[in-house]
Amino acid sequence: MRILLDKFSKSFGAVKVIEDMTLEIKDGEMLALLGPSGCGKSTTLFAICGIHKVTGGRIYFGDRDMTDLPSQERNVGVVFQSYALYPHMNVAENIAFPLRIRNLPGAEIKRLVDEMADLVHIGNLLDRRPAELSGGQQQRVALARALVRRPNVLLLDEPLANLDAKLRLEMRSEIRRIQLETGITAILVTHDQVEAMSMCDRIAIMNAGQIIQIATPKEMYRNPRTTFVAGFLGNPPIAFVEAEARDGMLAVKNADIRLPVPPDAVTPPDGTPVIIGIRPENLGPEGDAIIRGRVSFIETQGRENLYDIKLENGSVLRSIQRVRDDISLDDEVEWRVRSDRLFVFAENGERL
Amino acid sequence: MSASRDIVESGPARIGTRAAPARPRFAWLNSSKGLGLVLIMPALLLVIAFFLAPVILTGVFAFTNMSTATGITGGAYQISPGALRVLTDRYGMGELAERLGQPTYVVDEQGLAALAEMEIDQDIIDGLKRRLGETFSSRRDFERVIRDLPTRPNTRTVKRISDAFSRSLANARFASAGALMSAAEAIDPELTDDEKAALREATYTGWSWTTDNFRRLITSPQTMRILFNTIFFVAATLLIFNTGFAMLLAIATHYIPDRPAGIFRIIWFLPRISPAVIYVLLWKWLAWDTGFLSAFLDNFGIRPRNWMLDSAFNAWVFVILINGFVGASMGMLIFASAIKAIPQSLFHAASVDGAYRWQQIRHIILPHLKWPILFVTCYQTLSLLTSIEQTLLSTDGGPGGATEIWSLAIYHTALNNYAGNLQYGYGAAMALVLVVIGIVLSLLYLRLFNYRALIIKPRIEH
Ligand SMILES: Nc1ncnc2c1ncn2[C@@H]1O[C@H](COP(=O)(O)OP(=O)(O)OP(=O)(O)O)[C@@H](O)[C@H]1O
Ligand SMILES: [Mg+2]
Repeated sequence: MRILLDKFSKSFGAVKVIEDMTLEIKDGEMLALLGPSGCGKSTTLFAICGIHKVTGGRIYFGDRDMTDLPSQERNVGVVFQSYALYPHMNVAENIAFPLRIRNLPGAEIKRLVDEMADLVHIGNLLDRRPAELSGGQQQRVALARALVRRPNVLLLDEPLANLDAKLRLEMRSEIRRIQLETGITAILVTHDQVEAMSMCDRIAIMNAGQIIQIATPKEMYRNPRTTFVAGFLGNPPIAFVEAEARDGMLAVKNADIRLPVPPDAVTPPDGTPVIIGIRPENLGPEGDAIIRGRVSFIETQGRENLYDIKLENGSVLRSIQRVRDDISLDDEVEWRVRSDRLFVFAENGERL
Repeated sequence: MSASRDIVESGPARIGTRAAPARPRFAWLNSSKGLGLVLIMPALLLVIAFFLAPVILTGVFAFTNMSTATGITGGAYQISPGALRVLTDRYGMGELAERLGQPTYVVDEQGLAALAEMEIDQDIIDGLKRRLGETFSSRRDFERVIRDLPTRPNTRTVKRISDAFSRSLANARFASAGALMSAAEAIDPELTDDEKAALREATYTGWSWTTDNFRRLITSPQTMRILFNTIFFVAATLLIFNTGFAMLLAIATHYIPDRPAGIFRIIWFLPRISPAVIYVLLWKWLAWDTGFLSAFLDNFGIRPRNWMLDSAFNAWVFVILINGFVGASMGMLIFASAIKAIPQSLFHAASVDGAYRWQQIRHIILPHLKWPILFVTCYQTLSLLTSIEQTLLSTDGGPGGATEIWSLAIYHTALNNYAGNLQYGYGAAMALVLVVIGIVLSLLYLRLFNYRALIIKPRIEH
């Protein structure tokens, strides 16, 4: 079911957290709400499920206006960051709770609970209390409880934040599998860009209560609209250098480096200060523009190495390359970038 | 700590060469156990003096028949009409009682000696000596015998002589049981041991050891009535106010904004912190025949009356209200904080799971209040069982004993009796029963809570 936030605003007293946000999530889509801590992700989620009353704007599920419905009547499944399992009920009772509240017959409840338990692979844990489960198991129970009522939409508030790295990897694909299997419209709140990119159809990047860009992960990575988006996606992260337009080229400040303007960008008038973003994987032995610098740091990552190179002007660029033995610390290097992979931003962070 | 130990140790060490035996004298102070005992001693003494002693004394008093009449020190032996009645009723020795109560004249050596002292004619003495050992149960009979003596004394002398032989025990008071026995044997040398024992007990005016208090407690119809009153009082106050109303307040204040909720709680706490006398006085003022309620209802043509003591039903309503409002505040605080401790996210989860407010109360709040409810129930049962001041000050057990509860009955029996005879022993026996009930309940509750500690599982961390 499609979700539409239409000019949605939310403030707590005098504090405006969200202002005029418009966001559409397509039917069956899984959207990541990605942003730094405190940007209003949970607030948005709580408004969608009705825990918070909105201060302005409308919320639609499909064509139906849900704005003034209490959360009890929205039929939304939520996995809270803390899971919020009922500690006095066992796993089966936890999953059954939304059905019991709806007064479904016992046999029907049992059938649905068993079915859901199979889906999230916790059929053997039904008699346990939440306190007797591991974090990953609790997370599955929370997911089962959110899904068992066949909700219109599924909201996940940082569901993987409490898990260790290995389990997180496992649960990522697990959640995605279940979402695809059930075909449910879902919003995943996260501040982990890897999670957002690997699990979701589209990503909405948020900052300070605003959606900065909304696109598929690939598109957003390839084509960030601002320095904030470019900086948020990618690991190791993108590096920025200040430059200036000169004679149809981009001259890096205080350095003897001149880069061509990428073909998809408009050439700025001479003297315009710009910010150039270079992703680590685009700096290396191949390319059409030359960058000179000194290797200031080498980080071994196993299959690849991460090299920091310091330019004359002191700014640092990053390069990720296969492990090579011909380069050591403090070496002067002359590497290249592909000009069509450069991002050029105006001084205010907007992409040119 | 270590400094003081050094000093204690160095003392004996220095003189150790000369006076070796001094070494162990304060050695026990070196151990933390010994020192701990010294430090705890004052507290221990206080505990014994103020907590244990009253209970023990109650236990001791409960097995006596102490009252205002007996006093709490020893007594004497007095053949009072009351004592003779006891002899008749309790020991079935009516005949003995009659004999002891009648005026009696005994011709004995003691009387003869008295005559000699009074310088009565020796012939008369000799004449009476011949009748030594005879007893007369009426003055007239005895005086006829005296007049019939050869020397015929005049009427005044006859009277003096008969007085000297009067051995009536009615109202006689003896300092010791021995004196009583010899006097009684003078009248009736044939007293059996049973009769002596009965006499000793019946005439004793001081207190004595007895288990009669408990026998009386079990057989008295009054006991059942007070017991029923007490159970009703505790159950009603507990259910309606201390848990029921307290829970209502706690849940209500959970769902209203913090500030009004806080003000609300403080208001409900006022009865607890206001002095009982003033608090009850306000209630009395409300209920008096010239008070607010009467004045207000007068407008509707309802005759003014003391609403509190008007009927047993009214009295109970007031007693439960007065005690309940005091007791509800504690439950409210405990329940409110228990509800506050429930993570907010559980309520959010329940909301999106479709649970409306009353379903949240039923499925989330109440399960979390299970142990607080049990705790408040246990604690308040005990405090209601022993609570007295509000009831004493309001109805004082009235009207006609309708609201006489156990603790109040103890007070009325032992300390404030209409008849004026304060029955310390009986009151103590009633108190002892209460103490035993309290101890049994406490042990029961302690077990319950220990059991809880055993089965409780760590909560999920949030
Ligand atoms: N109940 C509230 N009252 C006042 N301010 C609030 C309230 N809830 C959230 N805020 C504020 O709104 C802003 C957004 O909060 P929100 O919880 O949505 O952040 P978030 O994006 O979920 O962050 P995180 O990733 O840390 O969970 C924060 O600045 C926060 O201080
Ligand atoms: Mg959040």
